Amino acid sequence: MTTTQIDGLMPIVIMMAAAVVLFFGGHFASVILSPKKPTPQKDTAYECGEEAVGSAWSAFNVRFYVVGLIFIIFDVESVLMFPVATVFSEMVKEGHGLFILTEFLIFIGILVTGIIYCWKKGDLDWVRSYQVSARRNQPAVAVKAKEVKKASA
Amino acid sequence: MFLNTLFVMSALLTVVSAVLVLTTKNIMHSCVFLLGSLIGIAGLYATLGADFVAATQVMVYVGGVVILMLFAVMLTGGKDFVSKAQNLMGLAPTMGNAWTYGVSALVGLVFLFTNIQLLTRLGTMSKLKNDGAFESTVNKIGHLLVKDHILSFEISSVLLLGALVGAAIIARPRKQ
Amino acid sequence: MNQTVVSFLAQYEFFDFLTKIFGENSLLLTTLIFLIFSVAFVAVAATIGGLGTYAERKISADIQMRMGPNRVGPYGLLQFLADGVKMMMKEDIMPRTADKFLFYLAPLLCLLGVFATLAVLPVSSGFTLTDLNVGVFYLIAISSLVGLGVFLGGYASNSKWSMLGGMRGASQIISYEIPVTLSVLAITLLSGSMSFGKITDLQAGFITNWFVFHNPFAFLAFIVYFVGAMAETNRAPFDLPEAESELVSGYHTEYTGMRFGFFALAEYIEVFVVSAVAAALFLGGYNLPFHISIDFLPIQFVQLSILVGKALMLYYVVIWARWTFPRLRVDHLMSVCWKYLTPIAIFNLVGCAVWMVAFNGQSLAQLIFGH
Repeated sequence: MTTTQIDGLMPIVIMMAAAVVLFFGGHFASVILSPKKPTPQKDTAYECGEEAVGSAWSAFNVRFYVVGLIFIIFDVESVLMFPVATVFSEMVKEGHGLFILTEFLIFIGILVTGIIYCWKKGDLDWVRSYQVSARRNQPAVAVKAKEVKKASA
Repeated sequence: MFLNTLFVMSALLTVVSAVLVLTTKNIMHSCVFLLGSLIGIAGLYATLGADFVAATQVMVYVGGVVILMLFAVMLTGGKDFVSKAQNLMGLAPTMGNAWTYGVSALVGLVFLFTNIQLLTRLGTMSKLKNDGAFESTVNKIGHLLVKDHILSFEISSVLLLGALVGAAIIARPRKQ
Repeated sequence: MNQTVVSFLAQYEFFDFLTKIFGENSLLLTTLIFLIFSVAFVAVAATIGGLGTYAERKISADIQMRMGPNRVGPYGLLQFLADGVKMMMKEDIMPRTADKFLFYLAPLLCLLGVFATLAVLPVSSGFTLTDLNVGVFYLIAISSLVGLGVFLGGYASNSKWSMLGGMRGASQIISYEIPVTLSVLAITLLSGSMSFGKITDLQAGFITNWFVFHNPFAFLAFIVYFVGAMAETNRAPFDLPEAESELVSGYHTEYTGMRFGFFALAEYIEVFVVSAVAAALFLGGYNLPFHISIDFLPIQFVQLSILVGKALMLYYVVIWARWTFPRLRVDHLMSVCWKYLTPIAIFNLVGCAVWMVAFNGQSLAQLIFGH
């Protein structure tokens, strides 16, 4: 008896179902066993013993979004490279090694160009690139004084 | 048999989540329901025997796009997006002018005719034999990518490069 | 055609007896076998996860010259059961301002992501639940649900600490997925397959056949994978999402009782999963160092213990690293990923590709010693 491709996916569904069963089973046991004595203080968000002020849902820094964007681009890149990597050794054995290597290197090379560009422009920095604008908004006296000194010297 | 079960499960997950995405008032909840819909679509790909495409769907959409959407929502703070009760009909006249309505009517017509074309063929489609005995598609995709579609493979790299540079430039603080 | 535990068991004589009862190619029989093995997998994984918490405390105690837990059971071995019961009996508190739906959903997403990876974990040549043709790729893809769970857990709590932890966690997990994926890609390149079974079978034989010793680039790829996997599972020194000295407890600050337990369980099982994947991809997997017929059923258990042994050794390294290295700063964390690991991983990938073409796919050992 053999299992077809589609039957091979059954364990994934069963495992996910197992996670759901465990989750609700744990909740059920917890509901039965645990005490329920809510007080107004207990139900507030933890802020080191102080009274919780305001909501935590506030606007976040754009850098998280940038990380997400760059991640998706690399994700798609790896998705495209996986099938090529799968046939790579086959092609090498067939004698098309140099051909596929060139192809692969061009593909990676174009992307590496992009990474180098982002790196040089400071987009991969977590802190610096976002403080540039803050520094530029300031009168920037210190920077200018240095420049003046350099220029005069 | 399991094929049918998987199809029904995936289809239900896709459709129910999609409806919930539209009806939920909270945008964070919408994002999470969208996740269910995208996983359901991955299941649908799997029932068609496209194992690699199904995994790609999970990889790119579940792992990437949904998280990116959540980040995008968090750029503005999540809470304020619990929308007021909105009446779509009341909003409609402000949503565009004659030009936008014309274009959307055209798109709707194209969509309608495509669907009619697909639906008329439903009777013949059911004769296709499908017992779940698929072959793996990864090797075929790989060979196609490096032999027949080599140019599109390389050009997609350029497209990704453009996206990378564009993402970096848009997010960069503006010079003043 | 996928190699699954059902098609493996079908070659034995006792299976004929089962097919007589259930009928040939019965869906019920397939489902039953999968169910039994899945339940066994979940039980073993949960035990390993539970013992992981015990090992963490015991090893940290050893490193800090303390005793560690030693009251419950022999050497305190049953401590995790006591902890589990305690968690069930704790009051379940949810902040009034929390997003209730997402608060419930977040631990479930973590559990789903981890358990779904167990389905393709290559524990032995026969007992692997299913050996998908896209196994490695699927594993990387589905485990990103954990990152989503971490983020939503942080968001739903509506506590500042949780929110910071959740944001950090999500961005850290997706960032470190890049070097991990690229390292796995290097192995796919060397083996020409994404199926765990084929990758492991190619490493059969002596230790020099392991992919980690295939070429210098693969060795680097192993290190990149391991560091990236540690960061993906939020383990120290990359445990910024739950940095207790700055974020109280990070994304699960507001979680109590059973729900906190699910987060912890998911984390400890995930560490085991990434260790087992590292063992399977780079360290020869379940292979014995000599050739033996796999038709003999008890051999499966030997293979199982070999893989689990290798994984537990890596698990020890992970815990050891936690109690040895100080935590990274958040900007250092990101520059480690984007400026060190990712370029090194790309370099490894290119190196492996060039190696494959230059030496016609032979490994370092084959080049030195001949065939």
